[in-house]
Amino acid sequence: LSLSCLPLPRCVQQMKSDGFHVDELFQKCLFEEDEKDEVLRAIRTLHPNYQLPPPPKPETCKSSLLQDFYSEKMVSYPKLDFSVQELQERFQQQLEMELDNTITIESVEATRPLTPEAIKARKLLGTLRSRWHDSILQALQKSKHNMSKLKTASGYNTLYPYLCLLPDEEYVAIMLQILSTLSPQGESLAVLARELGSKVYNRYVTQRKLRSRQLEKVQEVYKDYIHLLAKDGQPDEYLPREYWEKLVAEAGFGPSLNLKDCSWPYMLIMRLGMHMLELLVQAVKVPRNILNPRLEPKLIPVLYHIYSFRSSWQVGLIKPHPIFSQIVSDAAETLLTFNSSAIPMLCPPVPWTSPHFGAFVLNDTKLMRFVDGAVQHQLLLEQCPPVNLHPVLDALNQLGNCAWKINQPVLDIIISIFNDKGNEKLDIPPPISEAPRPPAASGSSSTWNKSQKHELLLCKKKAAEMHSLRMDALYKLSIANYVRDKVFWFPHNMDFRGRTYPCPPYFNHLGNDVTRAILLFAEGRPLGPKGLDWLKIHLINLTGLKKKNALQERLEYANEIMEEILDSADRPLTGRKWWMNTDEPWQALACCMEIAKASRSPDPAAYVSHFPVHQDGSCNGLQHYAALGRDLIGAISVNLMPCSVPQDVYSAVAQQVEEFRKKDAEQGVKIAQVLQGFISRKVVKQTVMTVVYGVTRYGGRLQMEKRLKEIDEFPEEYLWEASHYLVKQVFNGIKEMFSATRDIQNWLTESAKLIAQSGRTVEWVTPLGLPIVQPYYRSKSTLNCGMQNLSVKNSNSNQKPDTVKQKNAFPPNFIHSLDSTHMMLTALHCLRQGLTFVSVHDCYWTHALTVDVMNQVCREQFVALHSEKILQDLSEFMLEKYCRYSHPCHAPSCLHPPLLLGLDVPQCSV
Amino acid sequence: MLAGRAPPGAADCCRRFLAAALAAGLRPLLCGLPPCWATARRAVGQWPSPGLRVPEAAEAERLVQQAQRTGVSLRRFIACPQLARTVQRCLQDGARPGPQPVLLECAPGPGILTRTLLNAGVRVVALESNSAFLPNLQSLENSLDGQLKVIYGDFFRLDPLVTGTVKPPAMCSDKLFETMGVAAVPWRADVPVKIFGIIPQKKERNTLWRLLFALYECSSIYRYGRVELNIFISEKEYKVLTAMPGDARTYQAFTVLWQVGCEIQLLHMEPWSSFVTNLKNGGLAVPKSTWLPNDHLCLVRLTPQQNLFTRGLKPTNAATFIFMVKQCLAKPKSKLTDRLNSWSLDNGGKLLRELEIPKKAEARNLYPEDYRRLFEALQNSSMFTETWFHDDVLESIRNINL
Repeated sequence: LSLSCLPLPRCVQQMKSDGFHVDELFQKCLFEEDEKDEVLRAIRTLHPNYQLPPPPKPETCKSSLLQDFYSEKMVSYPKLDFSVQELQERFQQQLEMELDNTITIESVEATRPLTPEAIKARKLLGTLRSRWHDSILQALQKSKHNMSKLKTASGYNTLYPYLCLLPDEEYVAIMLQILSTLSPQGESLAVLARELGSKVYNRYVTQRKLRSRQLEKVQEVYKDYIHLLAKDGQPDEYLPREYWEKLVAEAGFGPSLNLKDCSWPYMLIMRLGMHMLELLVQAVKVPRNILNPRLEPKLIPVLYHIYSFRSSWQVGLIKPHPIFSQIVSDAAETLLTFNSSAIPMLCPPVPWTSPHFGAFVLNDTKLMRFVDGAVQHQLLLEQCPPVNLHPVLDALNQLGNCAWKINQPVLDIIISIFNDKGNEKLDIPPPISEAPRPPAASGSSSTWNKSQKHELLLCKKKAAEMHSLRMDALYKLSIANYVRDKVFWFPHNMDFRGRTYPCPPYFNHLGNDVTRAILLFAEGRPLGPKGLDWLKIHLINLTGLKKKNALQERLEYANEIMEEILDSADRPLTGRKWWMNTDEPWQALACCMEIAKASRSPDPAAYVSHFPVHQDGSCNGLQHYAALGRDLIGAISVNLMPCSVPQDVYSAVAQQVEEFRKKDAEQGVKIAQVLQGFISRKVVKQTVMTVVYGVTRYGGRLQMEKRLKEIDEFPEEYLWEASHYLVKQVFNGIKEMFSATRDIQNWLTESAKLIAQSGRTVEWVTPLGLPIVQPYYRSKSTLNCGMQNLSVKNSNSNQKPDTVKQKNAFPPNFIHSLDSTHMMLTALHCLRQGLTFVSVHDCYWTHALTVDVMNQVCREQFVALHSEKILQDLSEFMLEKYCRYSHPCHAPSCLHPPLLLGLDVPQCSV
Repeated sequence: MLAGRAPPGAADCCRRFLAAALAAGLRPLLCGLPPCWATARRAVGQWPSPGLRVPEAAEAERLVQQAQRTGVSLRRFIACPQLARTVQRCLQDGARPGPQPVLLECAPGPGILTRTLLNAGVRVVALESNSAFLPNLQSLENSLDGQLKVIYGDFFRLDPLVTGTVKPPAMCSDKLFETMGVAAVPWRADVPVKIFGIIPQKKERNTLWRLLFALYECSSIYRYGRVELNIFISEKEYKVLTAMPGDARTYQAFTVLWQVGCEIQLLHMEPWSSFVTNLKNGGLAVPKSTWLPNDHLCLVRLTPQQNLFTRGLKPTNAATFIFMVKQCLAKPKSKLTDRLNSWSLDNGGKLLRELEIPKKAEARNLYPEDYRRLFEALQNSSMFTETWFHDDVLESIRNINL
């Protein structure tokens, strides 16, 4: 369609009479390809002297918590140890990887020798795959042909356009990829369908970014953007987001960098996925006699569909035929194919500048993670004034800009154990060949007795567990091995409560002990005067010993056992293996090695360390409650108040409960007497921890029962009564210590209940301005497919909220949102102090040199956060939002916060 | 006063006289009779009525309330003597002449039905899981001459799958049958034991599934022969049990398997309100039902089919039969051919033709008997010999027995 044939003057006239200004065309519309230039050319045929409007002035966030942060002139943005040229090359590599959509890498098992059977099986698999490729292609084309002939639109042929977006070959490649990653135990239909559908969607988005020339524009901006980060780059007085926005404005791209919304409804993704899955099940066949030539040569399907029954519901599963699993296992292929988004980025992430733009270069990433088809949070983010999101975007950019590298010596030790026999105690999953074998029973399985069957089942269950653990570790280690010589980045996004997560799913710093142990900061900093001490304290923290001792005592303990530490570092597998008996053995080993290197360097203070030192929050949920409720005793026990020895809230509660018990026992309460000597930190810990997240008496009792059952001497007949009694006392104890905690929880729950009952969802805004909505809805609709009906969460805006979930989840979600706010505040202020900072929820990481600074920032920000009138603001927000149409005095009184007496904001030490 | 009215229609006048005599404290006289007398009576399985007093409903309710302990799950009891008599008559209905099997009464609680049954001359074994009810039952046991036996145990926690020692009131069926003095009989023999109970609502479906597995595997209580169950189940469950083919909602795998396994007889329907619960507030706790009527508890008799294990179906392969039926009816409206094909079986069409099952038949359209024939045909066609199918069968057993 050419613009020249439109009745242009009439269009412009119409716009004016409708109250629009021509400038707004260029400020608010999204353009693709060269649409913008075309429009400008057209306007200039009418008004030859028309000038583009100046780019909007950047706005500054006005949050009182970040006044200093945004008003102070930026001290220079921390530079990476790379030149502009180097970063540009890395960007090219990343871009190429993303353009390919998938990447195939060698697994760490590749170093094992290849057996003749494996060679044979690989050849066989190769032939089969090329046959499957042809038959899938045929099935796809046939189904497309059938759809195209249907005249009326039905559920079936509405898929037709979505099967024409990509070349046929790409659909086939996606299906083959799913086939090769299917586990021998099978996978649920819903999961497979979602995977297939999303893969198509992702490739489609890539196509669009290419075709609309959005990618070109991103490339152009990125080229300039890296000057902010490179060591030889000029500009330094900007935040990444600010600088990116400035470059976009200067290049005159305006909003054209954002694609028009093209996300697909969840239903569509599932429907498309189901269709592809059906094709796959139909088309992929294998000769039945392929492994056993004596059978008749008949083609049988490779995939079969059966149901698994779990109490009242049934789950459809797709399982591979054992013949297929056998060939795959014989072939022992050592190539792994991942989505390009599963690999850490090889260049600094694109900074988040809006809810749809940031993170990977091409891969579609949402600022907020998708929850089962809910779209409400996305709408909320879009409606929110962009400036309100700045703090959150800047915090995510800060977390994503941390450069990482691999701790190679530790990785090598782990891989050597992994490729040998694994080690369950050290959390290295053994290979399937180590799985327990069922006792050889005579006759066919149908004649076995019950205990034989039971044993067989246990073996199978164990093997299935081992397989999934092994694969998970294989993925993590292989990715780590792939980037072993590189510097890499984890772009971050968040869940609906604002908790942040790295985007690459398998290998990241949120992982288990093994993965954390192989990560180092790419940037090194000298240890400084106290750095070595911090390393030692960090080591003791990782062992899980000395939980109740002061930092100084932990340090002294480390010095006492220095010999063990050095032995672990020097002879990890042949020495006395002290590190193996700690809580987090691999991180402890890595730390031992770092301490050894640092302490042996001529000047430890000058030793350049890449090692991340962690500072753990102590029961953060209770800390927030204690601060919100201004509780003195509670504040002390969660280390909010200065105290010589780190306090342990669990021990404190256990003590309190023990006091209650003694009193009751003296008064002759039978169960209190029975419980004598059984109340410990361990018994109450889980319940105390989960109280914050809304555990009920019912759930609390179950937890208690479990703990008591673990104590062999505890008389079984009293289990019920004792757990019932204990949970009551723990709740009382917490009430006594955190007097306001329960009140606040009750108020939050009660408010959420009223809101949900009025048919609305619970929303709030964090002190940093992030709007939050709880994505719990009731409606589920059924997706009717030939193979099976699927129950799918539907995403339309008139869903009814799930009252129970809305109510019960509000207190914990609210606390999580405060916790993430505190983390983001700490991240931003650490940036101002020029230090490296990453977080694993409530555990913060930095260099040994900067631990003290980070701790101070963390404390200051906690105080600053709780100096805000958080509950007051929440109450006002809810009254405004949910009671706007009723007279103020009719507003339900419980939306007003509980009266809080007592303390000023406590000082705190984390 | 100890004597009660003799249950109407329970006995002839001779026995009524005896009851009165007993009530008048002539018990020593009975004991003094030559032993052959008692043996002779026992041989025909009919006992003289001991003429026990049956407490009124209010008293029974009080007993239930007293016996209540925290932590005990919801239970339902017969408290009203009228209902007890109805149940007693139902239980004795249709009995063949000759020696009667012993009746195992599960969870008798206050013992209203127990006394009614005893008065009707039935030999009863009372299996009670709540120790608070035991003293009363035991003193009753001691006052009689072997007509009642009381055992501490929970019928609905029979043969737990967990490994390790079985803790009372959970118990093993072999111990139970040994205590009852009942020996195993061949499958085709007459009913060795009758069982009466009210299925706990919370685990109703689960309990029935467990019984079903036991039935097909000839394990647990069914190791002793064709045990006859007389159980109160909710009306909605009864509707499912007796559903007819074609109804996609009520006609379920559960239906097919029970109908193949047992003869199902409805003996009586009684409104929920006639029963007493052990809830503090005396509530009825009627389970909700959205699309099936559920106004009653139904007394249903489930008698295992004599010919269940003929023609290819065996306790050893019955789990596969159960698995097959469940898989077919997971999507009742799906075509049977599609289902067979989705299991990597390739000649499903031919098989159906041989069975004269229409090509377009949906899973819900097949009669229980058809499923049996389908299974037999599959057994013969060597398809199920592929070992991989067995894994899934095992898996499904584990899931149900949890």
